[in-house]
Amino acid sequence: MIKPVALLGGRSALYSIIAIAIALALIPLVLGYNMYYVYLAAQVVLVTTMVLAWNIIGGYAGQLDLASSGYMALGGAVSGLLLAFYNVTPWLGMPLGALTAAGLAFLIGYPTFRFGVKEVWYALSTAALVVILQRVFWLIYGSTEIYMPVHRWSWYHLRFSRYEPLYYMLVVILLVTLWLNIRIKNSKLGYYLTAIGEDELAAEALGIDTRRYKLYALLIYASILGFVGGIYVNLTSIVSFRMFDLWLGIVVAVMGIIGGLGSIAGVFMAAVILRTLEEYLRSMFGATIPGIHLLIYGLLLIVVGVLKPEGFAGFLKYFRRRLARGGSGG
Amino acid sequence: MVAVGSAILSVRNVTKRFGGLVAVNRMSMDVRSNEMLGLIGPNGAGKTTLFNCITGVYRPDEGRVFFEGREITGLPPHVVVRRGIARTWQKVRPFKKMTVLDAVTVGALLKIPSVESAKERAREVLEFVGFPKEKFARLGSEITLIEHKLVDLARALATGPKLLLLDEVAAGLRPHEMDTLAKVLLRIRDELGVTMVIVEHVMRFVMNLSERIIVMHEGVKIAEGTPKEVASDPRVIEAYLGTKPV
Repeated sequence: MIKPVALLGGRSALYSIIAIAIALALIPLVLGYNMYYVYLAAQVVLVTTMVLAWNIIGGYAGQLDLASSGYMALGGAVSGLLLAFYNVTPWLGMPLGALTAAGLAFLIGYPTFRFGVKEVWYALSTAALVVILQRVFWLIYGSTEIYMPVHRWSWYHLRFSRYEPLYYMLVVILLVTLWLNIRIKNSKLGYYLTAIGEDELAAEALGIDTRRYKLYALLIYASILGFVGGIYVNLTSIVSFRMFDLWLGIVVAVMGIIGGLGSIAGVFMAAVILRTLEEYLRSMFGATIPGIHLLIYGLLLIVVGVLKPEGFAGFLKYFRRRLARGGSGG
Repeated sequence: MVAVGSAILSVRNVTKRFGGLVAVNRMSMDVRSNEMLGLIGPNGAGKTTLFNCITGVYRPDEGRVFFEGREITGLPPHVVVRRGIARTWQKVRPFKKMTVLDAVTVGALLKIPSVESAKERAREVLEFVGFPKEKFARLGSEITLIEHKLVDLARALATGPKLLLLDEVAAGLRPHEMDTLAKVLLRIRDELGVTMVIVEHVMRFVMNLSERIIVMHEGVKIAEGTPKEVASDPRVIEAYLGTKPV
């Protein structure tokens, strides 16, 4: 059983990562290697990775970025198009995708932070970025869907007749992202980003070059998403303008907020639970009550907003305090 | 009059306008090394704006600012701190979701790159300003006003400044809390050798602490001298109390 509480501490961070690794490794077995369920599990792992990447810019640095899906789709498009048109292996395509996403993030982030675009305005400009990327892609490739080449089992193309290999690759990326989150949180970068997220002017007055550090956070976030995009397109087998999906970017931010901005364990749990719940609701009621998962999201947001503005992290802290009290016999 | 050379901070003819309002008007002043200078004046006199012009929050429209003989006019706040000028805030700007210790650690990280050593330094600074040890792990949202003021002070002090600008540090405090704070400030100057400029509304507080006081009114300096001289200056009395009705 995963002990998310331990994640809050940091001392036992390694054990937590190992526990999560083992749990995730066993999931295909638990699901009976059912193709559809493993596919869904891969989706859950993917979104969890996105939310953890978002936590760096949104949770720590406090920038309400809605462009996660844009960066992921851009990286995915680079990797996928190279594979489809030039037979370039995703092993090269994924780093190139990460580089492209980071390059775009720099082009966008530098002026944005230079001219002090903040809060709602930052959120709106990142939302616009996803829409612009989609339009540009559409102008070049139109509405045709570009299919990834078919291979029964090729590690060169990362094309398989089953989903397990991609699932395990996603798990590895998730674990690396998790580890990065923990490393950042306990480093100078983490302290600085958290200070920026709390009060930018106060942070600046303590010697933090806020523009530079926000840019660091944005670049790390965009790189992870650009990298994972290469696996995403192989998972769905399609590159198309639909990948540039603003709704997904919003969902990622919502999960990060519900999880409790900056809390690794909270964000991790929110992503896993909400995404699994969404798939469950979709498969159960999708035909009869379409959109029920949206309704649940809305309700959850309201409940969390009213009861626990700190999100899942608030609940975790509450339980940890109770456990600590129980442990000391009080 | 002190020559420019012996001053740690020199403000020369600084002007800052907001639309039609001239908040600071051709203001000049020198801060001497290791002194505790009081900067007083009624509401809207331009004291905080002047602080913001010195620390880089605002860029002055005219005039120049020198620190240790080097020009710092218009440098961004994070560079100004690196040069050795730290500040506190009139309205506390706490890091609410961070513990007190972590908040001060952020300040210490400016000069100490390792988090562990910076934390150690933060502990020392918090103890120095007299922050209760058992509350180091409290969150910024869980402490009282005087504790906020102490954290704000410790945070600034942790950056290792030569000059500390205190913006209404005593505002909202009870008399005995002010006495505690005054003692801390004296220790900061005497034991750490930090020069201070204290912007203050509470007259008693600043009159007791400062050996030299500058009075601002409507953006200009109207008086400068010892607390006694300043207190009996007719222009100062007029600025605070208004003129006698005819």
